[in-house]
Amino acid sequence: MVKLSEALQTVNQARGNVQPFTVALACGFTPLHLQTYLVAHLQGWLPGRRVELQTGLFGDLAGTLEHISESDAITLVMEWQDLDPRLGFRSLGGWGPSETDDIVANVQNSLARIRSAVDRVPAVPMAVATPTLGLAPAFHTPSWEASQAELDLTRAMACFAVGLGSRPSTFVINSQRLLERSPASQRFDLRSELSSGFPYTLGHADVVGESLARLIAPPGPKKGLITDLDDTLWRGIVGEEGPEAVSWDLASHSQLHGLYQQLLRALAGQGALIGVASKNDPEVVERAFTRADLLLGKDHIFPIEAHWDAKSKSVARILQTWNIGADSVVFVDDSLLELAEVKAAFPEIETIQFPKDDPAAMERVLRKIRDLFGKRSVTGEDALRLDSIRRSAEFRLEAASPADPESFLANTGAKMVVEFNAPDSRMLELVNKTNQFNLNGCRKTEAEWQKELDEPGAFSIAVSYEDKYGPLGKIAVIQGAHHDRVVEVSTWVMSCRAFSRRIEHRCLEILIDRFGARELRFQFAPTPKNDPVSAFFRPYLNAKPEGPFSLDPERFLAVLPRLYHQVEYANG
Amino acid sequence: MDERLLKCFRVVFPNHGDAELVQATTETLAAWDSVAAITLVNVVEEEFGVQMDYEVVPELTSFEAVRSYLSSIHA
Repeated sequence: MVKLSEALQTVNQARGNVQPFTVALACGFTPLHLQTYLVAHLQGWLPGRRVELQTGLFGDLAGTLEHISESDAITLVMEWQDLDPRLGFRSLGGWGPSETDDIVANVQNSLARIRSAVDRVPAVPMAVATPTLGLAPAFHTPSWEASQAELDLTRAMACFAVGLGSRPSTFVINSQRLLERSPASQRFDLRSELSSGFPYTLGHADVVGESLARLIAPPGPKKGLITDLDDTLWRGIVGEEGPEAVSWDLASHSQLHGLYQQLLRALAGQGALIGVASKNDPEVVERAFTRADLLLGKDHIFPIEAHWDAKSKSVARILQTWNIGADSVVFVDDSLLELAEVKAAFPEIETIQFPKDDPAAMERVLRKIRDLFGKRSVTGEDALRLDSIRRSAEFRLEAASPADPESFLANTGAKMVVEFNAPDSRMLELVNKTNQFNLNGCRKTEAEWQKELDEPGAFSIAVSYEDKYGPLGKIAVIQGAHHDRVVEVSTWVMSCRAFSRRIEHRCLEILIDRFGARELRFQFAPTPKNDPVSAFFRPYLNAKPEGPFSLDPERFLAVLPRLYHQVEYANG
Repeated sequence: MDERLLKCFRVVFPNHGDAELVQATTETLAAWDSVAAITLVNVVEEEFGVQMDYEVVPELTSFEAVRSYLSSIHA
């Protein structure tokens, strides 16, 4: 738990002349320490921004929502007493059978009014906490039995939450996770509620604040998982017992390994990369992967590094194949020694020990892996990713030593599909997760992204790509504005899967052509990882860029290498 | 105790120097409003591992008063 004094220190230290990130807090009760914890946690996850909170009228949730104008995000926190004061402890409006029907009706009316207000708030991310505290003892049944009124209230709240959850960019706190972090019996502070109107214990305020902050500024999901085989993906040592003897099911008392395979298969289905690093005889591993009952088959894995080299060497090769950084990857092994060896070589990698004989620990590991790879939506692009990586590796292998590089590129059958100003959530997702070919590393909220696209002269370009090695899906995004044939590019990202295909060259040619550009300006900023952008521009600038720069289109076109892509415009 | 109490005052009233804080009263610190008062109580409770009597909070109107109260419940 974060201490209140620590949270206050975080809030105090954030004061300064940096870009604000404004959060509107609609809360029926006095938010007191909840606002401190919310700001402190958000501040920690939004470095470089100064989190500012807007609060409204306590006691009037719908009214507060109706008065929200400009903010980067909204948080809605409600407890039962905010829907009917008789459900709390600060009101003496009456408990008992004569009040029950009226309480239920009043709650339903309050929820309808809040829902109506929610539908009119600005289209920015909204984090919602439905009641986290229990109902007051207002009903006729003993507390171990749910009364009809309590069931009606629970149903009304569940319907309300379902409705909000289906609204774009609206995210509801997972009550099960909240219960794990903040046990129900340790949430309510009647002393504080009566004296100040703040009903939470400090511990509960910390957890609710953190949960809301996570919904507003979620951590980026990991991109790849590298797993060991023996006593991890399956139970047993395949080299000693043979491929037929290793197991992963209930009957063989090895269900934990089956659950692990099941989870990895689910992750692969949502676009996570799964690789294997195993000290083993490659032929034995090859035979093991022919078993039809594997839940995580060979089709879900690429690459498989099975040999007797150090695990860190396998990890290095896998990272190179995936072309992603160690900080985007999780390494799972049952051996502490192997975990330490890999961690020493790649300090940024997240390592997890597979607890083969500890079901309770395994449950935690499964949930942790799910959290590390969790994402809000799964798109068709995600299903393409592993196949795309596999094909990219083949591409790089062939491109690395062709007799004639131009002939190789000319024969890839490359096709680019370009979409101007297409509303597509995948674009912002790509912007916020791309590190290497990223013009300036700026991450944006949905509200910021939309605001920039609403500016005069604004444009966005999304590029999809495929060649004879297969489709890569949507791989590049450019965003900026043009005025009087001057094109200002503020965002440009390209997936590392698309390197070495001259797609970046074609993108600039398209920009010049589309806007008849006489000058290209780039809001470049160096980051620890965006060397590929510097390397691309260096020949055209005769120097490594250090900050924003301009490019003369004529000079660029004069030295443009030959391009072989067929370009198709999706929307004219 | 004084240093630990001063630490509490520093996080609740970050825009004031130590000399001002040890002399502070609700009259001299405009920031010492009802919200700051309850925040100060909770920070002090956390720091000293005590539960303060909310009935006496209205009487804790200066650094010295808080220090004396803590001394009394520690005695």
